[in-house]
Amino acid sequence: MHIRLKSGKSFSTVFLVLFLILTCGVFMNLKIITDRIMRKKIPGSSIIYLPEGKYLKYGTFGYSSFMADLIYIWAIQYYSDYTIPDSYFYLYDIFEIIAELDPHYFDPIDMGAFIAAYEAQDVDLAVKILDMGLEKNPKEWFFPYQAAHYIQFMQKDHERAQEYYKTTMSIEGYPPIVRRLYANAIFKAMDYERALEQWLEIYNTAEDERTKKVASNHLYNIKATMDIEKLQEAIAKFKEKYGRYPADLSRLVSAGFLDSVPKDMDGKEYLYDSQTGEVKPPTIPWKR
Amino acid sequence: MKIRAIALNTFKEAIRDRILYLLLFFALICIAFSRLLALLTIGDRVKIIKDVGLASLSLFGALMAILIGTGLVYKEIDKKTIYTLLSKPILRYQFLLGKFLGLVLTLFIMLLLMSIIFLALIFFHTFTIEWQLLIAILFIFLELCLITSVALLFSCFSTPILSSIFTLSFYLIGHTAWGLETLIGKIKPGLGKVLAQGLYHFLPDLENFNFKTEIVHSLPIPASIFLYSTLYGVFYTLFVLTIALLIFRKKDFI
Repeated sequence: MHIRLKSGKSFSTVFLVLFLILTCGVFMNLKIITDRIMRKKIPGSSIIYLPEGKYLKYGTFGYSSFMADLIYIWAIQYYSDYTIPDSYFYLYDIFEIIAELDPHYFDPIDMGAFIAAYEAQDVDLAVKILDMGLEKNPKEWFFPYQAAHYIQFMQKDHERAQEYYKTTMSIEGYPPIVRRLYANAIFKAMDYERALEQWLEIYNTAEDERTKKVASNHLYNIKATMDIEKLQEAIAKFKEKYGRYPADLSRLVSAGFLDSVPKDMDGKEYLYDSQTGEVKPPTIPWKR
Repeated sequence: MKIRAIALNTFKEAIRDRILYLLLFFALICIAFSRLLALLTIGDRVKIIKDVGLASLSLFGALMAILIGTGLVYKEIDKKTIYTLLSKPILRYQFLLGKFLGLVLTLFIMLLLMSIIFLALIFFHTFTIEWQLLIAILFIFLELCLITSVALLFSCFSTPILSSIFTLSFYLIGHTAWGLETLIGKIKPGLGKVLAQGLYHFLPDLENFNFKTEIVHSLPIPASIFLYSTLYGVFYTLFVLTIALLIFRKKDFI
């Protein structure tokens, strides 16, 4: 009786093990089949799950930084999917949520501005995101610096860029390059007198030879630009009076349009083409 | 007959558990809270209510399955009532199946209650009964059946706390295992890749029961996936229950 019970138990154990192997094989095959069936997804549909940052913060139960990390990682994936229509519509809102959850998390703000500037081609939106970063971190020079950079180099609005550089320089710890970029923005805005003053100050306060050399080249460029502008003006007046370009630049002095012919910062004469009336500096400023 | 008796007894025992009502209460609060959450969002409000509602059904259903399921067999062993039960002409598979079906019945009733309230909330917003949401709920139920079987499996040899942790891990793995596919794509061909592929196919894919997004967005779903996902759920549950039975048979009670 005992032996019969034992053999019956062994038989059912074998049956169960076989059944186990069978079910395992079946569900693994079913997994392969279900993986092959394409299920439609709405690109970017996950955006609707995001509540506003100030409300979301209450729901994180003290894990707001962790939640900021998760949303940032999600945002990176979201903006890596180029099939999502109007994905930039919520760009500011998404990065505002992250900034709200973790105001000291700089990477998302920087990345959000980068996406706005380069992917969405919307510099104003990038500046808006960086402004938000500065608002939350008033002692962080990086945000106005990045904003100035986008405005100056992408929007070519040198006047507005100067304001952001000034804000950057009002914050402690900004790098020396900011002063040079600020001086360059003044020059690009064609305010040569102020640009000259700025570069002169940079030259005089430079702590290393390289900066001194850079400042010197910029000073050369500004002086050359100012001189050439003055010379071109005198040449235009000469042509208006005599109907031709002067044979050389000294004619401008003898004709009374200039007091003297200016020379470049290295004491060399400017190159003049009497056929076209064009004046050029004798040296390329950056190769001096 | 014996399975039915054990199942009904398990059901009666489960509905007397206070934790069940606590979870039901929180689930209903969450469903109601979705209305508030919808007001704070950027975008479509009804979609938020549907999403939060379905998520609450799924999450609290899973918690019910885990917290009650993990104590099912352990309690009987701990209170020594199992000796009385197994001394009667009840086979071990009947006992386990009865326990499993009893909890499945409890979960079905709970899910039904939550679904009625959830559909009513949607009705107050759209003035239509969105029957297609029932498909998502049906697959949530299938997922809960699988989780119940896993909870029962751990309950056969572990304490409720450890079993809860193990089952919760199973739930989390089940919802994140699809990420392995990306990893497999980055592994160089070889033994590592084969092992990873084997693991990928063996690990539970609870996303097979997740039709929430498609249903909420009214996306077309291939009919075959319903069939294969159901079969997947059934076979995986059978697989887990068989392991549970093999372990339970090894236990020396009488």
